[in-house]
This record gives sequence, C-alpha cells and structure tokens, in this order.
Amino acid sequence: MSLSQDLPRTQGGHKPPRRRFSLREVFRQATLIVLGILSLFPLYFSFVNSFKTPVQFAQNPVNLPPSLGPGAVNYAKAWGQVAVPTLNSLLITIVSVLLTLGLAALAAYAFALLDFPGKKVLFALVFGLLLVPDFLTLIPLYVQIKKLALPSNYLSVIFPYIAAGQAFSILVLRTFFEQIPKDLLEAARIDGAGLLSTFTRIVLPISLPVLTTVGIIRFVPIWNDFLLPSLLLDTAHRTLPVALVRFQGSAESYSAPDFGALMAAYVLSALPLLVLFSFLMRSYIEGLTSGAVKA
Amino acid sequence: MPPTFARRLKAGWPAYLFILPAFVFLAWFAYYPAYLALTGAFTNWDGFLQRDFVGLSNFQRAITDPVLGLAARNNLIWIGFGIVLGIVPALGVAELIFHLRGQRRQYAYRTFFALTLVIPSLVSILIWSYFYRGEGGLLNLLLDKLHLSALKQFWLSDPKVALYSLIFMGFPWLNVFYLLILYAGLQNIPSEVIEAAKLDGATGWRRILSIDLPLLAPQIQLLLLLSIIANVQNLLAPLIMTGGGPFDATQVPALVMYQRAIQYGEFGYSNAISVLLFVVVVLLTVLSRFLGRRGA
Repeated sequence: MSLSQDLPRTQGGHKPPRRRFSLREVFRQATLIVLGILSLFPLYFSFVNSFKTPVQFAQNPVNLPPSLGPGAVNYAKAWGQVAVPTLNSLLITIVSVLLTLGLAALAAYAFALLDFPGKKVLFALVFGLLLVPDFLTLIPLYVQIKKLALPSNYLSVIFPYIAAGQAFSILVLRTFFEQIPKDLLEAARIDGAGLLSTFTRIVLPISLPVLTTVGIIRFVPIWNDFLLPSLLLDTAHRTLPVALVRFQGSAESYSAPDFGALMAAYVLSALPLLVLFSFLMRSYIEGLTSGAVKA
Repeated sequence: MPPTFARRLKAGWPAYLFILPAFVFLAWFAYYPAYLALTGAFTNWDGFLQRDFVGLSNFQRAITDPVLGLAARNNLIWIGFGIVLGIVPALGVAELIFHLRGQRRQYAYRTFFALTLVIPSLVSILIWSYFYRGEGGLLNLLLDKLHLSALKQFWLSDPKVALYSLIFMGFPWLNVFYLLILYAGLQNIPSEVIEAAKLDGATGWRRILSIDLPLLAPQIQLLLLLSIIANVQNLLAPLIMTGGGPFDATQVPALVMYQRAIQYGEFGYSNAISVLLFVVVVLLTVLSRFLGRRGA
C-alpha cells in the first residue's frame, strides 16, 4: 500500500514514453466504458424512473424523465417505507462490524505475537471455520436464536454476524500483526507498556489501514444480508433488504404497480453505500489488490 | 532447555483472555449451530422439542426425493454457467484495465467498476425481476423494439426458460470482487516475464494464453472454488424471484433445505440436505486443492 502506486507510471529514461492515446488504448477504454455503463444500468434505470408517474413509466421506462416533478411524490412514499429500515440496517451493520473488528483484533494479537500452549490447535479451530458454509448453520441459528431471550431484537442478528466474521478477520489481521517490527514491540515493553497497552497504543494505530479494509469487506455482506434478518427480526427492527422485498410485494399487488416509488426506494437504498465508498473506496480496492486477501 | 508446559502456561495466560471473547461468539454462534445441523440430520427435529434419533432415514429420503434430484440437476447447470459467467468477464475486464496506460487511469477504471457495489444485491434481484416480467417487462419491450417479438418469453413463468433466466441475470456479469483479485494477480506477474514475452513476440491473445493464464492459476483456482461455493448456496435469487417454481424448474438444493425447515417445519430433513451439500463442498474443496497441487 504505497503512495507511489497512484502516481503515473514513469518510464525508463532511455525509452521513449509510450503514447497515451493509441488506437488500441481507445478501443480498450471504449470497451470498458460500455461494460461499466451496462453494469451500472440498474442504477440508471431506478434513478430515471424514480422521477416518473406510472403513465410516463409505462410509455417509456428508459428515457430521461420529462420533468422532476413526480419525484416528490415517489420519494416521499419511498422514504416512508425505507427510512426506519435504513436506520436499522446502519445500526446493525456498524455495530456488527466494529465488534467483529474488536474481537478479531484481540484474538489475532494473541495468535500473532504471544506464545501459549494450545495455540496451534486453537488457531486450527478458527481456520477450520472457513470451511463451514453459511447454509449449514442458517437453519439451526434460526431455531437457536428464536429460543434466546435477548435484551434487544437487534442482537439476534448482530451476534451471528460477529461470529461469522471472526475466521476471515482473525486470519487477515494475524498476518498483518506478524509483520509489525519486533523492535517496536520490544521498545514498548522496555518502556513498561503491558500487553494491553501495547495492543491499544501500538498495534491498533499501526493497523488502521488493514482494519479499515477488513471492516469494509465485512460491511458489504452484512449490509446486503436478507435471509437471517427476514427470519429473525420483527417489523420494528426490520432491515433495508427485508423492507424492500416487502415493499415490492405490496406495490406490485396494486392494480397498477407503483414503480416510481419502488425505484425511488432502490435509489435511496444505494445511498448509504455510495457515501461509505466515496470515503473508503481506496481502502477497499487497495485492500483487495495489495494482497491483504490472498489465496 | 525448552520451557516446561506449566511455565509456558504461566507465561501465556493473558493470551487466553485475548482470544476468549472471540471464542465465546464462535462457540455460541458458529460451532454450536454447526453441531446442531450435523446431529439434527439424524433426527426428526421439528424445531421445537421433538428431536428423536431416526438413523439414516433423512438421507435415504433425500437421495430418493425427486424434487431434490431435479434441484441437484438445476444446481449443476447453474454451477457450470456460473463459473464461466463469474470468471470470464472479470478476467477480460481485469486484462483490459491492466493494459491501460498509466496507473492513474487504471485506478480510475477500477473505481468505476467497483461503483456497482453500491447497488444492494437484493435490489439487483428485484430490478431483474422487473426486467423479466412477461407483460411490460423491459426485456420483452426491448425485443419488441428490435422487431424480434418472436423471441419474447415469459422469462420467469415458463418452466423451460426460467432456470436460464435466473442464471443469466445480471448482465454483463461483472463480479467486482473477482475482478480485483484477478487484477491483483496480473500486477504480481514480474515485469521481467512480461518483457521477455514481448521480446519473444508474445503479445495480445498469445500473451494472455501463454503467460497470464498459467501465472494466474492460483487466483483462478481460488475463484473457481469461491464461485462453486457461491452457486451451491445461492438460494436468494430463486427464493425471491420464483420461489423455486414454476414446477420446480428453478429449484436448487439450498432452497429445498430452506423451504423444508421454514415452510414445512421438517428441520431434521432440512439439516440432512445441508449436511449433504456441506459434504459436496468439502469434497470439491479437497479436489481443487489436490488438482491445484498436481498442476503446480
């Protein structure tokens, strides 16, 4: 993760710099732009149609909206459906990610830098969980959590999310912690820092980039999850994906489906991740391409 | 002299406090449910108190269940197409981006494609359900516009096409995660290898086939495994779009597992299906490691 990565590639002095605009380069960029636009088409589609009346939508579902007026009604209706679920989703996802990181960092610290009997066996126990797919535990989790008397309904999905993220997070963090220079840790020890203060004052601050990367990588699947929340959360605690499916179901049962409001709800649902990525896209991309996550 | 066990234990005890919180959660919400699934498969568990040992009868039923057989066949087709649709477009785009001139430009395009992540996966399922609507769906409207009305289909309600509609959803099938992994693999190819290939006249397609693909083998192997696992446990699209219908045309084992437990209360049978799927996934993982090691 070096800064120089983003600077333009400098060519060797003896070679003439390659042309930045050759025919091939234009072809490559044109192909990429077309594919990118096609990939983003669902977003475009939701956006333009969120500003249309049902009649305008029926006439042409792909053109730009004739006016932005109908948007007000659509967004008001959509907001009523997704406002609370969006807050629920944000709360659940953020708390889950932070707790995942906290617990995983503590465990990874012990696995990377401390020596204790049983370390290999315990680590193998964590590692083995990567082999256990979500579908195996989905149904028993549902039964198990239904029976628990949890103080808050939110916790019934937060707890399993924390557990689900441990194996991956501990693995990545351990690899990173192992590379922290030993001199640094030794110096802290000589200064009289205990294990815990070494952890909070040296290990965690140094690891902020990798913690961010792991955090985003865990954020996306929790934010998108539908199955567990649809089974475990009541209406008041419902998350965004669940609310969208219910809204789609009710909107389509009208004699004339209210597509404008549906599309507005889709646009609203993309906003939180858009904001998150506008700050942290770099961490996500560099995390995935710098080898934090390796085969 | 190596320290004795007791001395190591005495010196290492704080480490257990560090790993304890993680293990509490793992024990409670990962190991225990996995244990419940593995043992429940041999019982007639109804999700409540009834949990009597019934031997292998759940597995016997699974093997002879015609719906599950159809579901397994559907899943095999899905996995086959899923691997190609998952890896090939991502590889193509990774190559195109990697060959762009300038790091800044490459970064800009990676960001552009990563932007698709902001669309919640569920929203793209819901939008594609609309694209596929028989009456007034976007795909049929498009075919009308192109004077190809003969090709119009009831994409999700015709048993002959529904499975393929689900498989080919999400055009142009660009998985950003796969794309970034492959791009990272390309970046790791030493520049001497690329220069040497250039001197030997290996450019364009020849370079991709003779240099990139062999050197990307670890990444491709990983993605192969990930895409198989993802397609084995993908029950969301059929659950939301078709419910497994029409006439079980889009049924997959993971969805049968879900429906048996949630809709019919047959938790024991559901667990048996999930255990069978788990065994298949583990076998495939071992097989791919084995093949990968032999290839290397």
